[in-house]
Amino acid sequence: MKKIWKHPEEPQNAKRYWRSVAELDRREDFLKNLGREFPEGDTLNEEERENSRREFLKIMGASVGMMGLASCRRPLVNILPYTQHVEWMVPGKSLLYATSMPQSGGAVPLVVTTHEGRPTHLAGNPLHPLGGGIHSFAQASVLDLYDPERSQKPMGAGKELSWAKANDLLASAVAEAKKTSGASLGIVVGDSTSPTYQRLLAEVKTAYPQAKLFQYEAVGGEGQAAANKAVFGAGVKPFVKLGSATRILSLDCDFLGVDPVAGEPISAFTKHRAKEVKTADMNRLYVLENRYTLTGGMADHRKPLAASLIPVAAALIAAQLGDSSAKALADTAPAGLKEWIAPAVRDLIDNKGKAVVLAGSRYGAEVHALVASINSALGAYDSTIELLQAAPAPELGTFADLQAAIAGGQVKTLVSLTTASLYYDAPDAAALAKLVSDKGVNLIHVGTQKNVTARQAALHIPAAHYLETWGDLRAADGTYSIVQPMIAPLYDGASNVEILLALLGRKKLGPAEAAAPAAAGAAPAAPAQDAAYTAVRDTFAVVAGSLDESKWNFTVRDGFLKGSAYAKATAAPNVAAAAEFVAKAKPAAAPSDDAPEVVLVADSSVYDGRYANNAWLQEAPDPVTKLTWENAAWIGSVTFRRLGLKEGQLVKITVGETAIEIPAIEAPGHVSNSITLTLGYGQTGVGVVGSGRGVNAYALRKQPGTFVLSGAKIEVLPTIAELGITQDQNTMEGRALYREGTLDTFNKDVAFAQKTGMDGHIPENISFYKGQVGVKSEENPDGFDYEKQHQWGMSIDLSKCIGCTACIVACQSENNIPVVGKDQVRKGRVMQWIRMDRYFAVAKWGKNEVEQESTWAEDNPTPEQLENAEMVHQPLACQQCESAPCETVCPVNATVHTPDGLNAMAYNRCIGTRYCANNCPYTARRFNWFDYNKRNPLIDTTVLGMKVGNLYAGPLGEKREDESLRLQRNPNVTVRMRGVIEKCTYCVQRLESAKILQKQVQRDTKNFRVPTDTVKTACQQSCPAEAIVFGDLADPKSAIVKAKASPRDYQLLKYIGTRPRTSYLARLRNPNKNMPGAENIAVWSNNQY
Amino acid sequence: MGNFFPRWTNWLPLKLAIAVVFIAFGVSVGIAYYFTPKYTRVGYEPTQPVPFSHKIHAGQLALDCRYCHSFGETSSHSNVPTNQTCFNCHGPGKGNIRSNSPKLEMVIKANETGKSIPWVKVHKAPDYVYFNHSAHLNRGISCVNCHGKITEMEVVRHDQPQSMGWCLDCHRNPEKNLRPLEFVTKLDYKAGDLKRADFYKALLDKKVPVGEIATTIAGAGAKAENLEQVLALAEKTYGKDVTQTEVGTQIKKHWQIQPPESCTACHR
Repeated sequence: MKKIWKHPEEPQNAKRYWRSVAELDRREDFLKNLGREFPEGDTLNEEERENSRREFLKIMGASVGMMGLASCRRPLVNILPYTQHVEWMVPGKSLLYATSMPQSGGAVPLVVTTHEGRPTHLAGNPLHPLGGGIHSFAQASVLDLYDPERSQKPMGAGKELSWAKANDLLASAVAEAKKTSGASLGIVVGDSTSPTYQRLLAEVKTAYPQAKLFQYEAVGGEGQAAANKAVFGAGVKPFVKLGSATRILSLDCDFLGVDPVAGEPISAFTKHRAKEVKTADMNRLYVLENRYTLTGGMADHRKPLAASLIPVAAALIAAQLGDSSAKALADTAPAGLKEWIAPAVRDLIDNKGKAVVLAGSRYGAEVHALVASINSALGAYDSTIELLQAAPAPELGTFADLQAAIAGGQVKTLVSLTTASLYYDAPDAAALAKLVSDKGVNLIHVGTQKNVTARQAALHIPAAHYLETWGDLRAADGTYSIVQPMIAPLYDGASNVEILLALLGRKKLGPAEAAAPAAAGAAPAAPAQDAAYTAVRDTFAVVAGSLDESKWNFTVRDGFLKGSAYAKATAAPNVAAAAEFVAKAKPAAAPSDDAPEVVLVADSSVYDGRYANNAWLQEAPDPVTKLTWENAAWIGSVTFRRLGLKEGQLVKITVGETAIEIPAIEAPGHVSNSITLTLGYGQTGVGVVGSGRGVNAYALRKQPGTFVLSGAKIEVLPTIAELGITQDQNTMEGRALYREGTLDTFNKDVAFAQKTGMDGHIPENISFYKGQVGVKSEENPDGFDYEKQHQWGMSIDLSKCIGCTACIVACQSENNIPVVGKDQVRKGRVMQWIRMDRYFAVAKWGKNEVEQESTWAEDNPTPEQLENAEMVHQPLACQQCESAPCETVCPVNATVHTPDGLNAMAYNRCIGTRYCANNCPYTARRFNWFDYNKRNPLIDTTVLGMKVGNLYAGPLGEKREDESLRLQRNPNVTVRMRGVIEKCTYCVQRLESAKILQKQVQRDTKNFRVPTDTVKTACQQSCPAEAIVFGDLADPKSAIVKAKASPRDYQLLKYIGTRPRTSYLARLRNPNKNMPGAENIAVWSNNQY
Repeated sequence: MGNFFPRWTNWLPLKLAIAVVFIAFGVSVGIAYYFTPKYTRVGYEPTQPVPFSHKIHAGQLALDCRYCHSFGETSSHSNVPTNQTCFNCHGPGKGNIRSNSPKLEMVIKANETGKSIPWVKVHKAPDYVYFNHSAHLNRGISCVNCHGKITEMEVVRHDQPQSMGWCLDCHRNPEKNLRPLEFVTKLDYKAGDLKRADFYKALLDKKVPVGEIATTIAGAGAKAENLEQVLALAEKTYGKDVTQTEVGTQIKKHWQIQPPESCTACHR
């Protein structure tokens, strides 16, 4: 008889974690799929099975015959060596270069791995003052470089042009501008901190004194800029020292997610969240926001608050701190808000000089003015916020100025250098497009995508990727950082610096005239001839004081110039100026049932739409909703249930005259009467990855700088859309998967996590991999020499993990993991080796919390409780069990254990029975249902007049011919074929190369051990929170040994005895006793049964 | 009814059974030999675009392998040299040796056009095999162990089967092939040519405890306190000449050679 393992029953009165509302409601479809490793639809019925068996025999018979013929000849393979040596190039070894990626208001310092001249993988630059992990956008940007649908040729009104023609058009525009000293010239720039760019922009302004410069970013903070300028003065940049702040209050500022603040890296914040010994010293985060963000998930106290009321909340805080100007606004506060804010502000006051209040960049000037006044009262300036003096930049007009200039006919030639797409994301973009064509404005657009602006512009010039060009940037603290090319421009694109040089007549765009010898992988043309290179060196000479060659070489090597941060600003903040903004603020009305608010936020996959054609990001699930490939309207449980909506049901949202139809999803932790829409979707023409996915939420925005739209109408439509949500896939059944406790709990019993569930009663798991050669014991019956091997292990600190998806994308980039497309995601075939489990929890709900017999179905939390649900994240990949259930069921020994403790996977042995996936309690194994690498899963093919998904067309489908995507592949990892299982291997290619590198050093000695903590996995390297520790358990000095010795260490599903090598550190929260609802926070399931 | 079958058919089933056994055996032996790399690879000797002779360069002139294949000790891949390496001797203005020989025509042309010489690959590991040259060359495995005596080949020939079983044979018993590092590129090295005193002195110079050397020679319980005693012990155990087993076991023990046998060593 088949034995069915029963997980021990867990009492019902404790806090429970649930993955989705479907699990909470015990919906039938969820329960049906719970026990399956893949959702239904993957198994065949009797008839199909019979048919496919016959098919199989037919095909096998034919192919055996063919095999005989094909194997007669040995295929001829050539070796093509370089004709000339390439400096530093050792065939078969990767080269690392430092560079930086531009991002709004700063730079992401990077180290790029290149293989024979191809950049393949990005990681943070550990030498840089703001280095460390990187976010998923930066991690995925290497794929943009190889995007086969990137803009490759200049275009004029949607038609391809030659480079010569494009140069002519540009030259005539320049000549025109010269005649009129730029009177009809307008330039729109993004929010760039590049000193060379700023310098050239100033030169353009000198050359064409009448030219007008504007700044526009789709998700930019115009209000923040205005308030900062008035309060701090021109060119002064606040720099938040997250590491020094012990009390942080965020007013809808997702500083851990898509709304980063200029300041210390995230790891400075998370460092103070992890404790190993009893302590009172831990930072505390308060968050007010309308929807769940990553920051909200990390909060110790969080209150869902409508975005319209954020100014009121800011005013309340300011008023409590004695700002009289805020009083009027504060008095409009709704019931309950003051009770929440008062104890929080008291806590901030108690920690004066160590507290900071942050506001979301999308809010208006009045919020930022209030926050400046608050921070000043809290003594934050010079302690938790440093004011830095940047060099004065050219005066830039706002978007409203741009509209006025076009309408007034002052601009006839408009050069768009911003990453935003004016005809797509500008407020009232359609009106802008009409205005531009009515006024006969010549739009010159520079960008990497063939988006709607590129197609409609009079002239579109392909932009170069930042990995292809010379440039420079100022990091958030002002450190001068270099952007250097890793590869010659694939499609001759021009960088912004080069466009400005072209406007100044110093550079001709397009392919170099004297074609360099086309040796494969040859170094780019001598940089000395590159105008951008010269321009950057000129800027460097100014920044560094002189053009010191040795300094320059160090800068290019390290990626930044040492000691080049901004100086501290001398002037104190002028808080009085803030009052003006506050006085102008309109009193906000709380949203109501009839007039809900609409909140527009940047998306965690496509940001403002610029990453729309990046397949890795599209498939990386949203950290909160777990939605892939599109956007949806997030609606709180109260409103969702009041409207009687179903998951994915379309709603029509009307703001003013404009309406959009978009699927709705229920979002626990979301405030009622508020709808969150993520931006960046619904684009056309950008390519097969990004086109036609989701709905364009920019359409609702009519005024620049507004992201909170009040007075919306919502209408329920009958259609239910199919969404690719990963939250109910690869679920684990089990108890006490996620463990957390408050600081108090921890101080009472530091090892609380090790006693949670039944862990306190089961015998300790002793590693199988201990013992010395010849010394036989029960654990080591063969006397094998395990201590003379590396013993790899991993520890993930849930106190630090913020739940972003950087590790998923890093793993995808390092391990050649394919994307599968929305259709396959719906079928549960996501290939990502790491999945980020997101759980919601509500403490103590129901009629009677101690009533043991209460069941899920009749004891559901109320929608109001769902609104206050807590959210936690748990990254999960293969746990590398020492006693791995997958290994024992493999009929062909394709998955076996290595002496260094890895659960190895030999792809070429795997025959695809999927027994291992079936037997994995962590559901960490992935199966290649199709040849995702050979056939593009995103397109449809026509077979016999029928339209079918390309994957299903079999040999009739289109083969993938995207040469460029292949260039991104890591040559040290096998590209898997159809029909094999794959999973996390702890980046075994990195481990093996580290061991081999040590062998090169070891030679004829005994010193075989890889130097302590020198080898890092891709996820560990990418983690911006530094939550992942990896290393050699047999090396007592290593960080992993210390991490595993933590009292918070626990193993997932320990009671089933798999002895995983990956373990977790329980999460700590630091609630404030005086806050309402503090007793419910992180009530760990204190059942020790 | 008469006899349908003649008498001789009585033995037919047995004869058939015996024949089947022989045929099956023959087929198995045939497959085991002809369908494996021992037969399919060994002896592969494609014509190369440039008639470069290893026999002249590495054999007669005794150029070290690493003069051309310069990155074998630092990289997974042992590179094929660039034209510049050829021109160090043959190039105009450098050695100028036989620089007008028609055999060099293609090299000179490749240098002018920048188009690589299409050398034909002889030793090809499958895509899912990640062989690493540096791991072997730095740890006492010689070129000759996998490539044969290249110094005697006019055109390079596939000398060893290089099948997975063949790899594992050595990974399980590395002592059969290990040699001191200075002889890694000496393809005609024989353990017997070593001077026993030099070999053990080198080990002692590397601070290997003398007692351990003794136990490695003659098993637990063997004792030695100085070089002389070690030499005496070795001569007693292995005979007058140095043997490969003697060198191999010492190196394996004292360099801590533990060749991986797990899948991940070569498949990732």
